Amino acid sequence: MLKYTLRRVLAMIPMLFLISIIVFSLAKLMPGDSLGGEIDPANTDPEYIEQMREKLGYNDPIYEQYFRWITNFVQGDFGKSTRYKIPANEIIMERLPNTIFLSLTSLIITYVLALAMGIYSGRKPYTLGDNTIAAANYIGLALPSFVAGVFAIYIFSFHLGWFPSNGSVDISVTEGTFEYWLSRFHHVLLPAFVLGLLNTASYTQFLRNDIIENSRKDYVRTARAKGTSESKIYNVHIFRNSVIPLVTFLGFDIVNLVGGAIITETIFTYPGIGQLFLTSVTNRDYSVLMTLTMMFSVLTLFGNLVADILYGIVDPRIRLD
Amino acid sequence: MEIMTDKNSAVNIKPPKSMSPWAIARRKFIRNKLAMISLCFLVFVCFVSFLAPYITTHDITRINMGSFSLEPSSEHWLGTDKNGRDVFTRLLYGGRISLFIGLACTAFVIVTGTIIGSIAGYFGGTIDNLLMRFTDFVLTFPFLVFVIVLNAILQNKVSGVWVLIMVISGLSWGGVARIVRSKILAEKENEYVLAAISIGCSPFKVIIKHLLPNVLSTIIVQATILFASMIVAETGLSFLGFGVPSETPSWGNMLSFANEPDVLQDKPWIWIPPALAVTLTILSINFIGEGLKDALNPKSYR
Repeated sequence: MLKYTLRRVLAMIPMLFLISIIVFSLAKLMPGDSLGGEIDPANTDPEYIEQMREKLGYNDPIYEQYFRWITNFVQGDFGKSTRYKIPANEIIMERLPNTIFLSLTSLIITYVLALAMGIYSGRKPYTLGDNTIAAANYIGLALPSFVAGVFAIYIFSFHLGWFPSNGSVDISVTEGTFEYWLSRFHHVLLPAFVLGLLNTASYTQFLRNDIIENSRKDYVRTARAKGTSESKIYNVHIFRNSVIPLVTFLGFDIVNLVGGAIITETIFTYPGIGQLFLTSVTNRDYSVLMTLTMMFSVLTLFGNLVADILYGIVDPRIRLD
Repeated sequence: MEIMTDKNSAVNIKPPKSMSPWAIARRKFIRNKLAMISLCFLVFVCFVSFLAPYITTHDITRINMGSFSLEPSSEHWLGTDKNGRDVFTRLLYGGRISLFIGLACTAFVIVTGTIIGSIAGYFGGTIDNLLMRFTDFVLTFPFLVFVIVLNAILQNKVSGVWVLIMVISGLSWGGVARIVRSKILAEKENEYVLAAISIGCSPFKVIIKHLLPNVLSTIIVQATILFASMIVAETGLSFLGFGVPSETPSWGNMLSFANEPDVLQDKPWIWIPPALAVTLTILSINFIGEGLKDALNPKSYR
């Protein structure tokens, strides 16, 4: 298992290198001077611009620029934000906790709901309850996250007034108090639910089908023949077997959250890194944009790694090749 | 004439012919009510959208000063938007763009994925290794992030719908390639492939004539799933403002009006029609996909 994990981690390194080259090339292709921000935009004197370009090394060969960028990047120097005039990592670190909080809440909501609905449907298939859940699932699978977000705001924020429609915290509460955390939780609930909607629906469906399939297997018949109670069969024997494949989805969750966060945070104007990413594209804030693109790519790579390792744990055959 | 009668009598004597797999699948699909209703709905939406210029009379581009944000009435069935354009007309034109992009992306992705997947699966060895490492590489890009960045770069150079189609399909063929490769890998172990090779069929012919028809059912099911996700991708990107240029009507662009709180709260006729159109279209595509999966699966008897 250790060897398999190590092999997977080592396989990531060339991928990381290639991705960094792609991100750097993309930044170079962008209109204007990427990685800049040091040049005063008010000063249009061509001589001044040329001087600054020379000083910042924009006239060096492209590979030298790449190595300078990547060396700084690895050391944690992500450049300076042209819009906020502070180092890019400071602004990202300011927003990152919000996104992590949103993602974690979303994951918890997803797994709790999917487990509860999936187990119920799987245990009582083709009943009224199961059919209701199945219908809700079909809608959940068909609702794109931005449509779900817009409807959620319209119904729950504007009409019912249950949840706030934007922001991450009430500005009137002081930081650190119990009310502060309560307010944050109140703000995060609706976006987290929208973010997890698609996964909730697909996991519920997966779990239901898996439980039904397992309940027809021989080991269940054996357990029944031995007189094991029905609840023990479902909650212990079948549950253990059905929940394992679900765990392997955790890696893909990380990948999905990256894309989902961008859309959800924009709809709810939730100040996280997804929203920061979009504003940095609109404002051509290249150092923030590149750092975030790298971060998202690394996260995706990491998600795939987690999925691979979890697969290896669940299915020992995969470790061999 | 004699030959004709002979043929007829021969047919009459033969025992009733058993149905081909495709005929069985077709019958199973037609019996699936939900899938048939969805198919009718989808055909209707496509029909109405693509014939939009012949059905509607309102001008979609001109900003109409007299009729900003009108509520639904007999003249404007679904009201008008903030620029005074008829929502119903824009809904039809928007469907045209959204469905076209969805179809075009699906076609590109399926063709690219099938070509790369079948070549990698059939030839194996170094070619397989190279192609699949490349596929893995493409799959590690976070889709939305790279589409947005690429679009930001390309938008000024090549304008319009085709940029979006190219960018979306360029980043999403990886999954199809993987699936087709694994299916081809399993399929090429069969003896009929060996027979085809031994009588001198070229690799190209073996793939096209013998292997692809046997993995076609998988590809068809993949195509329906892709069609739905491509529509989501387009509308999502346009909603965020990184898709189709904002002056072109598309369901995503129409929905992006909901980003303004007063439209979202007080003028639901502007954003509810495109929201419902997207959701119902995807719902029907999902049902069709499920129906096809069921119909093409020889193990399911219904």
